[in-house]
Amino acid sequence: MRMICLALLAFAEAIALRQAAEASPVQHVLVQMPLLVLAGVLISWDIRGRRVWAVPLLLTALTAFLFWMLPRSVDWALTPAGETAKYLSLPLLLGVPLRLSWPWLAPVLRGFLKANALSMLGVLGFLYTHAPLRICNSYLVSAQQDLGFAFLHLAVVLACIWAVPVLFGHPRWLPSGSAGCSKCGA
Amino acid sequence: MSTVSENYVPGHAAAAPQAGAVKLTMVLSGAVFALMMAFGLLMRAAQGQWIDLDPALFYQLLTAHGAGMVGTAALSGAAIMWYFCGRHLVLSGGIFWAFLGLFLLGVVLILGAIFIGGYGGAWTFLFPLPALSGGAWEAGAAAAFMLGYTAIGVGFLLYYLELGRRIHARYGSLVRALGWNLILGREDNDPPPPAIVAAAAVTIFNSIGIILGAAVLVASLVHLLVPGFEVDALLAKNLIYFFGHVFINASIYMAVTAVYEILPEYTGKPWKSNRLFAIAWNAVLIFVMAVYWHHLLQDVVMPPWMLVVGQLVSYFSGIPLIAVTAFSTFLYVRGSRMTWDLASSLLVLSVAGWSVGSVPASIDGMISVNKVMHNTMWVPGHFHTYLLLGEVAMAFGFMAWLVRGKTISQMDGLDRAAFVTYLAGAVGFVTVFLFSGAASIPRRWAVHYEEWLSHDRIGTLFGGLVVLGTLVFVLRFAARLGRREG
Amino acid sequence: MAARFLPSVLAAVAGGGILWLATDGAQAFTSEAARRLDVVQSPRQVPKVLLEDMMSRPVPLLPQAGEVVLVEFIYTVCGDICQIAAADFAEIRDRLQAQGVKARLLSVSFDPERDTPEQMAIYGDAHEADGIMWTIARPEKTALPELLGLFDVIVIPDEWGGYQHNAAIHVITGDGRFSAVYDTDAVEDVLAHLSAVQP
Repeated sequence: MRMICLALLAFAEAIALRQAAEASPVQHVLVQMPLLVLAGVLISWDIRGRRVWAVPLLLTALTAFLFWMLPRSVDWALTPAGETAKYLSLPLLLGVPLRLSWPWLAPVLRGFLKANALSMLGVLGFLYTHAPLRICNSYLVSAQQDLGFAFLHLAVVLACIWAVPVLFGHPRWLPSGSAGCSKCGA
Repeated sequence: MSTVSENYVPGHAAAAPQAGAVKLTMVLSGAVFALMMAFGLLMRAAQGQWIDLDPALFYQLLTAHGAGMVGTAALSGAAIMWYFCGRHLVLSGGIFWAFLGLFLLGVVLILGAIFIGGYGGAWTFLFPLPALSGGAWEAGAAAAFMLGYTAIGVGFLLYYLELGRRIHARYGSLVRALGWNLILGREDNDPPPPAIVAAAAVTIFNSIGIILGAAVLVASLVHLLVPGFEVDALLAKNLIYFFGHVFINASIYMAVTAVYEILPEYTGKPWKSNRLFAIAWNAVLIFVMAVYWHHLLQDVVMPPWMLVVGQLVSYFSGIPLIAVTAFSTFLYVRGSRMTWDLASSLLVLSVAGWSVGSVPASIDGMISVNKVMHNTMWVPGHFHTYLLLGEVAMAFGFMAWLVRGKTISQMDGLDRAAFVTYLAGAVGFVTVFLFSGAASIPRRWAVHYEEWLSHDRIGTLFGGLVVLGTLVFVLRFAARLGRREG
Repeated sequence: MAARFLPSVLAAVAGGGILWLATDGAQAFTSEAARRLDVVQSPRQVPKVLLEDMMSRPVPLLPQAGEVVLVEFIYTVCGDICQIAAADFAEIRDRLQAQGVKARLLSVSFDPERDTPEQMAIYGDAHEADGIMWTIARPEKTALPELLGLFDVIVIPDEWGGYQHNAAIHVITGDGRFSAVYDTDAVEDVLAHLSAVQP
């Protein structure tokens, strides 16, 4: 119940950011969209996925992720049809499948996905900070550069969060079994 | 006093899981080493005008030689480290097969890109050269080359994820595996053996290198396929050299585990981790990543402090290596009655070659020297020293050890002849390179002036000796594998 | 055995298919690329619109008597790209004139409030648009949204009181259809296109 309330809170927060998303791609891509994904993750927090569905669900999540990574999708998300698609697909086709499949994924695959996420954030940062063309017609060039730097900062933060437990061991103050793996029996 | 970790079992009795996969990898590595050396020989002979080689083909061979040698050095190093980490950790065989499969996929893509697509933009794929071929190759060929790199990178990432995961599971954290308890003087009843310290360090810096390398590879791919997307050339160069420097260094740092694990069999004294050893490897971890700026000393737009750091770390990075590995090897060998068979001779040679190779490297790492020497044969001279006499010798030593007889025996006549041929060839070959560099003969030129031909021809002769020695090593390995398994 | 992998295979195929469609077969990753591809594949009929030129005369947007019309969108106080684009536009004009191609060039202001005929005349003067083959013109304020919608031009205010927009050269062929988009500096491509559609 608590998780469902949190999910609704995240969703409401995302909707509250509608205006901000239109003004700034950082708010749109790095605040609103992750909030929508988070809403999906939280709403399915206590559901236990089945092992056989792990791979198809992961592929679904990856498809949704890649789709919303396309610059033209970001432009499209500002039109009425695209906006509806965004509000529905990010929680249901990315957040929920990710949550249901994650506990079943092999540790090496998880590591690979994390490493890949860092590389791709690097690529996006690389391209968005230096593209001589406007990647999204709906945003200013300066905002595009801000977004590029935000991608790079995010990559550094995520790298630290993921690397510290591996380097220095699992900190004692954190509950064991991150991402609720123990709960799902993985 | 630290003790040997409990499950350290030196020698023959050691469990060797996945020995088959490792042997297959070493056969492949040996064959590719020989082929790439033949490519190198062709290039030297063409520079010496003994054979006629179309310059376009010369640059394709140059690209294949560079990418092939770096890749194979890393492949053989990875196989060696996997083999010896298997003595201390439980490693999943599936990951190694996936790694090998992805590597071979990458090789197919790279060879196709070069010899079918005509790609000749060198192994460093420096932006924007792959996209600006002047008609020599299509964007598709450059893209296939980079996809090949990406496949190999993914394979290595899986390899390090598995290794890192198992080290983490066994030792609780990577810093413990790096010997921080030894450094800080804390009690540790299960200190990491040298191979694990090396594995932990390489896992950390090569994973970082691969993640950054993948970023610049994919950005370059996007630029090739959608030319509207530009890449900042200086940032791309920084990332490429970070990745390239770390990756080729990792190959030696992985292969050196063979020295740590095999030489004790010959000296009878186990090679233990101690405080100095751990400090040295932690220093290596930092230096390998901080030194790459010495590749950019000619880029005047770089911030000066980076170039200064590049030069300083070039001096320092020789220290942990020479102080620990080379010095300990010297002490071990001197104080014991070594049996000099092919394996032990090659392994000791490799440590010596690696150490000697760091001298011309440090010289070239000086800003004032680099201004004159960077584009001369001095540079291939220094890296051939620690690859040909270092990493490759480690790989051949490991191969000889894998197929050694039940008892250690002296070298027979053929072994001795092959070893001497290889040693003489390699020493002569790199010396000619260094002399050519000192004489300001440029590197990477397909066609040479008359005045340079004597250098090239002497180099070709020595190169021929190297190929000859290599062929004996590889064929001997393959024959003995067949004999033992058949 | 096959049933175990079927859902994964289906998910992979469906995912790949969706991404293939969403990028028009891996051809268009940005909305600008998508717009250009769409226009070539299905040219759009241009309505009868009258614009007001820098001498306050009405000019038709539609091509007259088999000519080709090249349109670019501007605002006259633009500080960067429009100025460079205007120089390229002038080059296209000169070369079309030399080749004797029947064509008309229009720089259409999307800021009709500020860009009065006098203001447009200053811009035209600065870039040697004499009003014969190349003129500067503005639409009725009420017709502007429809016009921008037809060409898929998105104009957003920037930080300095100006605008950013997807600047390009838009080709309207003799049959009155908007059928191609080029970068403002792609002079050779535009000329090649025109000699192909109007030999």
